[in-house]
Amino acid sequence: MYKLRKYIWNFFRTVILICTEFIIMYPIIYMISCAFRDSADMNDPSVIWIPKHFTLNVIRDTIKAMDFGNTLKNTLILNTGCAIVQVLSCSVTGYGFARFDFRGKNFLFGIVIMMILVPPQVISLPLYTQFMNFGIGNLRINLIDNMLTMYLPAMSANGLKSGLMILIFRQFFRGLPKELEESAYIDGCSPLKTFILVIMPNALPAVLTVFLLSVVIYWNDFYTSSAFFRNTKTLGIVLENLDSELQMRLFGESVQLSQREKIVWQEAGCLLVLSPLLIMYVFLQKHFTEGIESSGLII
Amino acid sequence: MINKRKIKYSVRKSLYGYGFILLWFSGTVIFFLIPLVKSLIYSFSEVSIDSGKTVVKYIGFEKYMKVLTEDEKYTEYLTDMIIETLWKTPVIIIFSLFTAMILNQKFKGRTFARAVFFLPVIIVTGTAYRIISGNNDVSDFSTVFTTDFTGDFLEFMGFYGAGDKINDFVSAIADNIYGIVWNSGIQILLFLSALQNIPASVREASLIDGATTWEFFWKITVPYIKPFIVANIVFTIIDTFTNPLNKVMERVSVMRNQWAFGEASAMAWIYFIIIMSVTALTVILSNKRSD
Repeated sequence: MYKLRKYIWNFFRTVILICTEFIIMYPIIYMISCAFRDSADMNDPSVIWIPKHFTLNVIRDTIKAMDFGNTLKNTLILNTGCAIVQVLSCSVTGYGFARFDFRGKNFLFGIVIMMILVPPQVISLPLYTQFMNFGIGNLRINLIDNMLTMYLPAMSANGLKSGLMILIFRQFFRGLPKELEESAYIDGCSPLKTFILVIMPNALPAVLTVFLLSVVIYWNDFYTSSAFFRNTKTLGIVLENLDSELQMRLFGESVQLSQREKIVWQEAGCLLVLSPLLIMYVFLQKHFTEGIESSGLII
Repeated sequence: MINKRKIKYSVRKSLYGYGFILLWFSGTVIFFLIPLVKSLIYSFSEVSIDSGKTVVKYIGFEKYMKVLTEDEKYTEYLTDMIIETLWKTPVIIIFSLFTAMILNQKFKGRTFARAVFFLPVIIVTGTAYRIISGNNDVSDFSTVFTTDFTGDFLEFMGFYGAGDKINDFVSAIADNIYGIVWNSGIQILLFLSALQNIPASVREASLIDGATTWEFFWKITVPYIKPFIVANIVFTIIDTFTNPLNKVMERVSVMRNQWAFGEASAMAWIYFIIIMSVTALTVILSNKRSD
């Protein structure tokens, strides 16, 4: 009887898992399938997954329209740069909140929580005018369209989703045993030295998780970068404007294509933008989750 | 120079504390607090750009009134958003708890299954998600999940229009199955780590005492993971509200691009106050229950 129940449950579990995982995989598989088919296949009801007219032209067109090489280079520079400085600044801040007692700590940590709660839209507007003439007194420069608009906040632990990352680090450091630092202090290490030499090597899971999360968030960002960039192209911005760009380059005025037929180019753009992330995920999947799991976030 | 050794240890330690957060604090003043206060001022003002400089004129609550009474799109998106959050959050929480419990069991291919469930987290924040989920003003796209199969089924059974309410709810879930499954990644992960924290000895003891699976769930699992449930509810609310892809946020961006700073700021602040009160309400309610 017990065995039978187990078999039935195993069967249902498999069915449930396959169904939900199909929901997750469906758009991704569909995207790959669309990116390699001729746009005429979209109107052929017999084509669902496997294209009848296999072609690489769509991908080629999209690469050209997105200026993929340059855009990718831009995005990579911005991305890894911001992610690295963000990890450093957020870990320092998280450590300060986790291990030291000082006046006004709760109030200041309240500001960190506020950073999580306030949507970027609330502050992006004054930030824009602030970046337009950035500086003190007469020393002012226009930072719009400069990558510093992304770097400076990331450097000072105020980049995209920084609040969340400070929180992850704080939780993680609180979980580390206090003996780690105490023995270092007894040996005459200063807190900063202790942090660099003793704490950081022990915080690798959290560092990796926050780094990967940062890369993903900056990679996917469209809102903030489009607010501050005019001519600097990132993958997020280019993908958002792909439709009009293609309209100009490929289709022109004369060629009329239905929305449905244009999907192939859209999906090809998505494939190009997502594939670096997906490849990274396949290899580093474990590290994405490890830091969050071990910090037991928020509790 | 003050001699280092003469300062008391606790004072020195708190000074180091300030040192560690100094970088963040100076950044937060420039990139967060000042803009935040400015946007609050903008929302009470008529803002115009005159030869590169912003000119701000105080006009009181006018912009708020205008946004709430005249901008039909904004109020419509806002109510939609609130209703959606109200029903979606519990569904996401239940779904992710259920999934986490399945993924916590031992079976073949568990690592792969977990990896797939977390996959949406790397995609869902981006523009690509809107395109591949078919949410891009293109009809007849991801047709598999938008057919009204519940309606067809009920009609087949002879309920012509009788079960409209149930039908609406079930088909709302069916239509939004993407939004639910794709937005549960972090929640599943948090529940998983919570479930792994339940000591094996507790499980053994309850098995020896003859607890059924049902009893084990309500008497052991739920109390153990309760803080995580609260955290997940708060996380889900914040995540849906602050997602740049949601319609209210898009409306704010549209107003900003038209240089209507006052209106955009008022919209953003109304929205922010709603997020704050919903989050605060959740935390207060969950604290009360546990007393």
